[in-house]
Amino acid sequence: MTNTIDTSIYAAITEAIQGEARRILSEGHVSAVVGYAAARRKGSAQPVVITDAVRAEELIFSAACVNNLAVYLTKAKKEIPKTGKIGIVVKGCDLKALVGLMGESQLKREELYLIGVPCAGVLASTAQPAQELTGDTIAPKCRECDAHLPQECDFVPDRQPATPELAGKYRAEIARLEAMTPAERWAYWKEQFKKCIKCYACRQVCPFCFCEQCLCDRNKPQMVETTPRPAGNTAWHIVRAMHLAGRCAGCAECERVCPMDIPLNLLNRKMAKELKELYDYEAGFQVREKGPLAMYDEKDDQSFIK
Amino acid sequence: MQKFISQQNLGHLLDKLIADGKRVVAPRMEAGTPLYGPFADSAGIVLGQLPRRSAKETFFPVCEDIMSYGKEGQQVTLTDVNPARFPETVLVGVRPCDAAAVPVLDAVFSWDYQDEFFLERRQKTTIVGLACTQADDACFCTAVGLSPADPKGSDLFLTPVEGGGYACETFTEKGETLVNSHKELFGEPSGAPALPLAEPQTEKFDLKKVKAWLDDHFEDPAWDSIAVRCVGCGACAFLCPACHCFDIVDEGTEKAGKRRKSWDACGFWKFTHHASGHNPRDLQPKRYRNRIMHKFKYYDDKFGQTLCTGCGRCIRFCPVGIDIAAIVSEISKK
Repeated sequence: MTNTIDTSIYAAITEAIQGEARRILSEGHVSAVVGYAAARRKGSAQPVVITDAVRAEELIFSAACVNNLAVYLTKAKKEIPKTGKIGIVVKGCDLKALVGLMGESQLKREELYLIGVPCAGVLASTAQPAQELTGDTIAPKCRECDAHLPQECDFVPDRQPATPELAGKYRAEIARLEAMTPAERWAYWKEQFKKCIKCYACRQVCPFCFCEQCLCDRNKPQMVETTPRPAGNTAWHIVRAMHLAGRCAGCAECERVCPMDIPLNLLNRKMAKELKELYDYEAGFQVREKGPLAMYDEKDDQSFIK
Repeated sequence: MQKFISQQNLGHLLDKLIADGKRVVAPRMEAGTPLYGPFADSAGIVLGQLPRRSAKETFFPVCEDIMSYGKEGQQVTLTDVNPARFPETVLVGVRPCDAAAVPVLDAVFSWDYQDEFFLERRQKTTIVGLACTQADDACFCTAVGLSPADPKGSDLFLTPVEGGGYACETFTEKGETLVNSHKELFGEPSGAPALPLAEPQTEKFDLKKVKAWLDDHFEDPAWDSIAVRCVGCGACAFLCPACHCFDIVDEGTEKAGKRRKSWDACGFWKFTHHASGHNPRDLQPKRYRNRIMHKFKYYDDKFGQTLCTGCGRCIRFCPVGIDIAAIVSEISKK
């Protein structure tokens, strides 16, 4: 029995993306297109910013196109000129981040040209870029994807992605952690956070970490210990999880890029689960001004006030 | 001196060293990730894969206290950390790309300022290198003039041979002392052929040409196109066996606290952020340029060495696929 996932549509999608990028650049609809291009390592892909229609042929889509490119549109990335309309290649999961950024007034829909990608899944960080996409090599987030086809884009290649049923890893892992005693759970996270080296890759790839200066970089006053030690590491990851609660839509970039294999998306999924249970709220589907943690509603549950 | 040691005797050697009160550091799994770390016994040692972080942390920890302070009333007490207390260490299973970085680091830590924290640990550590039998397409040690069997930086070097065990060769007095103090565990060279070594596929860089281009191209549009995708994290520098920048901060309360030294990275926005608010490296391409300049020009200008050993970690773990081997190879063709 093979658990190969059919990615044959990616070739046609690549061609369609190239064509559309060429068209919108040459007709002057956008000043740049943020997408993916092939890189040196076999099968690998990397983010690329293209401003010249001639270079549209560099664009690709494959199972190695793992990045959430939304990060390049935030004010955290000053290198990308944000003049005029920008085209961007988005998977369904990436689109949720864009929707969130619009809700937080970081982006305007009319300044974006969305090239949506029908997506069957991308590779896990543990896989080599040249590996075939299978039930074993697929990224954990793709196992429980509910956005294979991005909605309301300006252009989506007319292809239907294969969406095999795969057991959700986050749900199972959260259930496992919830079943632990607080002491056991503390021990688990302590061991994970001990590995953290404060490289801040998790922060730097996160589309929602767009603060001009991160609170955790401040030293006057120092809000969180900046050195990579257990106490400061734990504080950093808790601050991060809380700051993203109700905002994170689960692109799982933080977890993918963590060079110390800390399962960071578990924290985000757990917070998302709480938000769903308490406020029936899910981030990333609608452009809303404020998430539940940033607003007050008389109907909010107040039973915790004793 | 050439010897042979069986797999089993290597385990015995490590157990004996631990029993003798030495700190033995080798690759092992920590919460699912291969990392160098101290061992309580030889079980659990993982020699099959390159540890995620390099061996530099044995000499240059991720974070260490360098002083503590206390204040009571008007009385302030400052207490230095005494490096003489650092333990004798044997660092085992170090790949050539990690071992070769150690003498490169010696140059900077013993230059105008003698960094006693680094140098004391360095002087007290014996490095047992291990020839490399596995490469992926991010490996490029051969491109920077090293090889999977290069003993540079190793006191004792092990090469796995057919039929099991390792051919050992000593390169320094430290290496000979280690072998001589546990003679019974070493045999004469078996003559068995070495296992096939790793074969990194990257072509050799012309480092002179690379430097010549860098000498003349501090300003160049190439930096923008190379680094426009860089997100400014420190993953590349922190995983690198040769990057050695650090920050010093005081942490604690008014009453008591510590002065700490921890890894820093030139990719960070705040790395060159002045107190005035000015930042000479205000955009990411300027920061990434510094990374390449430091490795292939500045370090060469100052110490006649390249600050890169081709381990490939920065390529494997860059969140946005920045590939230093591809970049340097392109520069060498300019």
